[in-house]
Amino acid sequence: MAFEITLPRLGWDMVEGSLADWLKKDGELVKAGEMLFTVEGDKAIQEIEALDSGYLKTLPDGPQKGEKVPVGTLLGYLVPEEELAEFQFPGQGLEPVPEQAVAQPAGLPLEKPAPAPVDDRKRRVYISPYARRLAQGLGVDWQGIHGSGKGGRIMALDVEQAALIKQKAAQPAAERHVITPLRKKIAEHMAYSAHTSAPVTLTTEVDATELVALRKALKEDSAITGQPAPSYNDLLAKLSCQALLEHPLINARIEGEEVVQMGTVNIAVAVDTERGLIVPVLKDVETKTLRQLARESAALIERTRSGSITYEELQGATFTITNLGMFEIDAFTPIIDLPQCSILGVGRIAPKQVVVDVETEKVAIRQCMILSLTFDHRLVDGAQAARFLQRVKRFIERPYLWMAG
Amino acid sequence: MRELTFTDAAREGLAEEMARDDMIFVVGEGIGARGGNFNTTVGLYDLYGEKRLRDTPISERGFTGLCTGAAVLGARPVIDFMFLDFELDALGEIINQMSRLRWMSNGQVKVPIVLRGGVGLASTGPHHSANLFSIFMHLPGLHVVVPVFPADAKGLLKTSIRMDDPVIFLEHKKLMKLKGPVPDGEHLVPFGQASVVRQGKDLTIVGISFTVIEALNAANLLEKEGISAEVIDPRTLAPLDLATILESVSKTHRLLVVDEDFSPCGAGAEIAAQVMEQGFYELDAPVRRMNGAFVPGPYSPPLEAAVIPSAQGIAKAAQALMVE
Repeated sequence: MAFEITLPRLGWDMVEGSLADWLKKDGELVKAGEMLFTVEGDKAIQEIEALDSGYLKTLPDGPQKGEKVPVGTLLGYLVPEEELAEFQFPGQGLEPVPEQAVAQPAGLPLEKPAPAPVDDRKRRVYISPYARRLAQGLGVDWQGIHGSGKGGRIMALDVEQAALIKQKAAQPAAERHVITPLRKKIAEHMAYSAHTSAPVTLTTEVDATELVALRKALKEDSAITGQPAPSYNDLLAKLSCQALLEHPLINARIEGEEVVQMGTVNIAVAVDTERGLIVPVLKDVETKTLRQLARESAALIERTRSGSITYEELQGATFTITNLGMFEIDAFTPIIDLPQCSILGVGRIAPKQVVVDVETEKVAIRQCMILSLTFDHRLVDGAQAARFLQRVKRFIERPYLWMAG
Repeated sequence: MRELTFTDAAREGLAEEMARDDMIFVVGEGIGARGGNFNTTVGLYDLYGEKRLRDTPISERGFTGLCTGAAVLGARPVIDFMFLDFELDALGEIINQMSRLRWMSNGQVKVPIVLRGGVGLASTGPHHSANLFSIFMHLPGLHVVVPVFPADAKGLLKTSIRMDDPVIFLEHKKLMKLKGPVPDGEHLVPFGQASVVRQGKDLTIVGISFTVIEALNAANLLEKEGISAEVIDPRTLAPLDLATILESVSKTHRLLVVDEDFSPCGAGAEIAAQVMEQGFYELDAPVRRMNGAFVPGPYSPPLEAAVIPSAQGIAKAAQALMVE
C-alpha cells in the first residue's frame, strides 16, 4: 500500500503552509528517517523526514512549490517496490463515478437500484390509493398509464392527465370533406369581391306599412285569381328596378377601362339552398308585370332548390337583392357580386312604435324594415348611392308611386 | 392584542385558576420562593405561600403518590417536574395508580392532576431533553397536551387544571421565550382540537410541539419553490384530533409528520397509522415521518443540531414527498 505524503502541521496554530522544495527526486527510493521535503510555515522553513520507505511519487497536479495550501494537503506518495509496477494515482484509470452516486445526499446509505423488470412476468403497476380512487371516478384505465412517481408509481397527477387526454380523444372530431365546386366558386367570388371592390354600406330604416298592406291585398287577390302572389322579393325587385331606371349610374359596371350603364335591369335574388348560396336572375324586370315576376321567380327558385337551374339563368344580373328578414336579421353588410356595383340587403319587417307627428307627439305602431345597400365606391359615390337608396325607401313607403312607372 | 411569552402566558393561566379555586396547589422542586426553574410560578408564592406552593425534596415518586391521594380526596394538584425526564422517576405512581384509579373505581374516584415538565433538546444533554410523548399517549386515562403558541399555553393549561383526569402538560424549552398574542381574561382551549396554523394545498405537515415552528419555517422555504404546505399543530396528542388532519389530507393528499421525539412507536407512527386506516384512499403518496435521530439527546451543539429536524430538513423531506 502506498503511503500518503501530506503537508504537516508544524505548530498547533498552523492552518496552512507551503511545500518549499522536495529533497528527493521523483521516483527516487526513500528510506524512513531520511529528509524528504521542506515546508515553509509562518515563521521558518523546516525539513520533514520520511515516516515510511518507498519510491517517491510526487502528485502531478499537486501544489506548486511556495503555493500556500491547507495543512493535510496531499503532496505525493511513497510507493513500496512490490506495488511500483501497478501504482496509479487515485482518479487515474478509473471508470467515471456514476452520476447517480454523486447526487446521493451525503450521509445517506446508497439506495439499492430498483430491480430490473423481469421479462417473463407482467410488470406490476403501482398506483397511489388516492390516484386509484380518482381513476375509478374518472373512468380512467390506469393499468396503461406510465406513472411519474418513484419507481413509476402512478400518482393523482398522472391520472388527471390521462383523463384529460381521454376527454380530448372523446370529443367529436371535426368533420372534414372536400370542398364542393359550388362552395369553391362562392369562396373565390366573394374573396375576389372583398379584395377588389371598395365596398361601403348604407343603412336606412323604412316604414314598410304600406308595402305590407299591398302584399296583403295581392295575396288576397291571388286567392281569387289562383295566380301566384308576388313575394316581398318580387315587390322589392320591381320597385328597385324603377329606382335603378331613375339612377342608371347604379345599374352599371366596370369593364376594363370603361364604365358600362346597362340597358336593362336584371335583378338577382339570393336563394339559400342546401348546396350553398345560389343567385338566379330575373331578367328584364322593367318589362315585366308583378304577376309575371311572381310566376317567373317562383319557377326559378323551385329550379334552384331542386338543382335543375341552368347556367344561363344564373348569368347577367345588374343588381342583387339579398333578404335575410326570415332569419330575424335587421341589418347587415352584404358583399357585392362583381361585376355588379351594388347589392341591397333586406332586413326583417317588424312592428315598431314610431313618432309619426312630432308636433302632436303622436306615435303609432308601424311595420318597419332596415335596408342595407352596399355599393362599390370605385364606381359610385356616396351621395349617388344614398339618393338611390332614398328613392327605394320612398317607393317602399308609398308603393303606388312606382306603379306609375 | 397584547403579546406575552409562552411561560408568562402559562403562568397567567395558572394564577387565574389558583385565584378561582383554592383547592389548586403546586408541588415541585424550587417552585416556591424561587418561582420555578423555568419561572413557572414566579410571584405566586408571595400570594399563596408555602401551603399552595409546596417545595419538595428530590423525591418524585413520593410527592407524585402524595398528590394522587390529594386529588382523589378533592384537591387539584399541579406537579411541576421541571423536566419531563424527572417525571420518569414517578412512572410507577403515574401509570399504576394515577391513570387507573378512575377506571378501577368505576368512575367513583376522580384524579384531577396536571403533570408539567419541560421537553425537547435545547442544549440540555441526554438527561434533560426527553420528549417521550408516546409513552403517555399509550396509556388509557391520560391526556397529553403539547402547546406551541403562548395563547394555547394559557388556554390549554387552564383546561388541563379543570380536567378531572390526569393531564401530562409538556412545554418545549425552546418555546418558553416565544412571544405571541394572548387574549385577556378567561381563555380556555378545548382538548382534541388541532389548529391549522398555515393554509396550503400541496401537502400537509403535522408538527408536534416545537417542530410546528420549524414546519412553518419550512413552509416559507417551500413557498419559494412553488410548494404550498399546510401546517397543523395538533395541540393535544391525547385526545388526538384526527378529523382535522384527515380533512387536510383530503385536500393535499400528502402527509408528513414531523416530531423531535424518536420515530419507533412515536406520535408520528400513530398519526400515520390512523390516517392510513381512515384516509387510505386520500393518499397520493406514502405518509412520511421525520423524527429526531434515534439516539439520546447529545450535549454537543453541532451534534444536537444534527439529530433534530430542521426547517431545511423538513423542506427537503417535503420536496421529496412531492415527487414520491
